[in-house]
Order: sequence, then structure tokens, then C-alpha cells
Amino acid sequence: MRGGALPPALLLGALGLALAFAPRRIWLPSLIALLAALAACSVMPVPRLGLEGVFLACWSSVILTAASVHWVGGLPGWAALALAVNAGVWASAVVSASGSPRDLLSALPWVLLVLPASWVARRHTTIAVKMASSWVIAVAVLAATLQLLPVTPGYMPDHLE
Amino acid sequence: MKSARHKFTSSAMLMAAGVATLLPTPAQAHMGTGLPGGFISGFLHPFSGADHLLAMVSVGLWGAFLGRPLLYVLPVVFPAMMVVGAILGMFVVPMPPVQIGIAVSVLVLGLCIALSLKAPVWAACGVVALFAVFHGYAHGRELPSAADPIGYSAGFVLATGLLHVSGICLGFLNHWRQGVMATRSIGAVIAAAGAWFLFQAVGA
Repeated sequence: MRGGALPPALLLGALGLALAFAPRRIWLPSLIALLAALAACSVMPVPRLGLEGVFLACWSSVILTAASVHWVGGLPGWAALALAVNAGVWASAVVSASGSPRDLLSALPWVLLVLPASWVARRHTTIAVKMASSWVIAVAVLAATLQLLPVTPGYMPDHLE
Repeated sequence: MKSARHKFTSSAMLMAAGVATLLPTPAQAHMGTGLPGGFISGFLHPFSGADHLLAMVSVGLWGAFLGRPLLYVLPVVFPAMMVVGAILGMFVVPMPPVQIGIAVSVLVLGLCIALSLKAPVWAACGVVALFAVFHGYAHGRELPSAADPIGYSAGFVLATGLLHVSGICLGFLNHWRQGVMATRSIGAVIAAAGAWFLFQAVGA
């Protein structure tokens, strides 16, 4: 099993953590940008040959988005918007390539991590959010590395796929 | 004051419940290739061996003894270097006997806590980073054969992080004089367990 809800959930969760460091007034525009990118890209077909590239881009986006919590002085508004669009594009692409629209629906609430993360960050415990983002980065690095292995039995199709 | 605390506890519980409902819970039957290993097995893996479990709690507990910034730096260094170890494991890069490395990590971290060793930042990070590679290697060997490798890795990274956090929480006992004695005693017990693991690993 390669696709499912987990890759887009990690990407949208990373976006939620990143937005906790952005100005609150940019949250709604970022959410709208995310939904617009998800909607726009969900109708575009992803060529089957591009599966490896799509997953690699998704994991790179997870790493980039999660690492943005370390942006000195907080995440600027334009960067938050750019990350939201990027997350929308790749979450949608990865689901189109290997998953179902239901996966996207179950992954979408993960962006709401922005609420507990900003609550924690406002209480001068930003390091807890940064620790969580380091865990997300660790998972993304592992997942990206798995693509380089010659054989990963879990990625082979079974009789149901 | 009491009401404010009650309100805070209720909000925290509501938030935790909210986050828990967001967790994806795929059906376990007919997942992927029918191989075992998804989020749940990845999450349970660090709890399945006392050596992994004790080492990870020790990292948080030693961080609590060392104070800021290591209190937070060590639980970030450990998963980062565990990933390096896991990558080495995935590619089956030759390493010194991993079980001995893991046993030594339990012994040394337990001793650091028992002796309340105040290591400089670079030394503490170096020690924890080295041990994390051994723990990651063991996980990395199993990762590619999991049915859902991404779920498995998310599970074991999350469990590792939570074990660090539980070690940090245990370190709050250090605010009391008797608490310091208790945590140092826990360190001694962990070191003794590490010595036993080392004896077994060398004898194997």
C-alpha cells in the first residue's frame, strides 16, 4: 500500500503546523488558496508514468512545509499562501495518482492542526510544535528514501488493486 | 483559580479528543499486499522491546536533567539521526552488531541519569545521535517489508517522540528533592537493564 490518506494527511498536517507561525489574518486566505488548488488539480489527470515523481514531490513538499516552522521571525503571509497552494497541488496529485477522493476528504481536516499548534505556540512553547514538525520531516525522509529501494513488497499490488 | 484550571483541563481534553478523531483509521483487512505492518504495528514496535523503550524514555529523562536547550534538542536530534540509521538499515549497510549498540545505549543513558551527568551540548548531542543510529537501523531493516511502509514509519516515529515526551514528563519529578533521588534511581535501574541486555547480546 502506497497511497491512501496518509501522504496528503501528512502534507496538510505540516501545512497546519506551518500556518501556526503565520499571521492569523492570512489563515483564511491560505485555506481558500488550498481548497482552490485542491479543486483545480483534482480534475487534472496524472500520467501513470509520473507516479514516482508525484510521490517525490509530495514528500519534498512535506519536508519544505514542515521545515518552514523554523522561519526566523515567523512565516510571512506570501510564504504561507505559496505553501498552501503547493500543498493543495501535491495533495491532490498524489491522491489522483494513487488513491480516491475519499482519501483527500479524510486528509483535509489535518490542516486544522493549525488551531492546537497556534494555541501551543502562543504560550511560548513553540519548541513543542517544532518537535512535532521534526517528526513529520523524519517520516517524509523515510518515505522518500523508500522510493530508492529496488524492492519494497508493500508497494506491490495485490489482488484487490 | 480552580475554575480557570478546570476550564484549561477541559479545553485540553477537548482538543486532544478533536485531534484523535482526525486520525485516519483504515480497515486492516485486505490492505496492500496482505503483508503485516501498518501504522499500528509501527506505533507498537518501540513498545515491543524493553531495550528500545528504555533508551527512548532515557533520552527524554536525561534531557530533563540537562535542562534547556538540551531538554528539547535531544528529542529532535534522536528522530533525525534515527532516520539516518533507518536509511542505513534499508540499504543493509554493514554496521557493528546492532543489538550490542542498542544495549550499550541503554546502559550509558541509564548511567548518565543515575550519575546526573551534566554533559556539554555537543557531547550530549553526539552520544544521543550515535545511539539513535543503532535504534534507527533496527527499524529500517523491517520498514521496507511492511504492508504500509509510510504508515509503519509514521507510527514508529510518533511512538518514539511520545516516549521522549514521557521521559521529559518523568523529569518533572526533579522539582522535588525526593524526586531527584527517584529519577536517579530509575536511571540506575535502566543502567542495570542495559547491562543485562549487553550480557545477553554479547552471549548471543
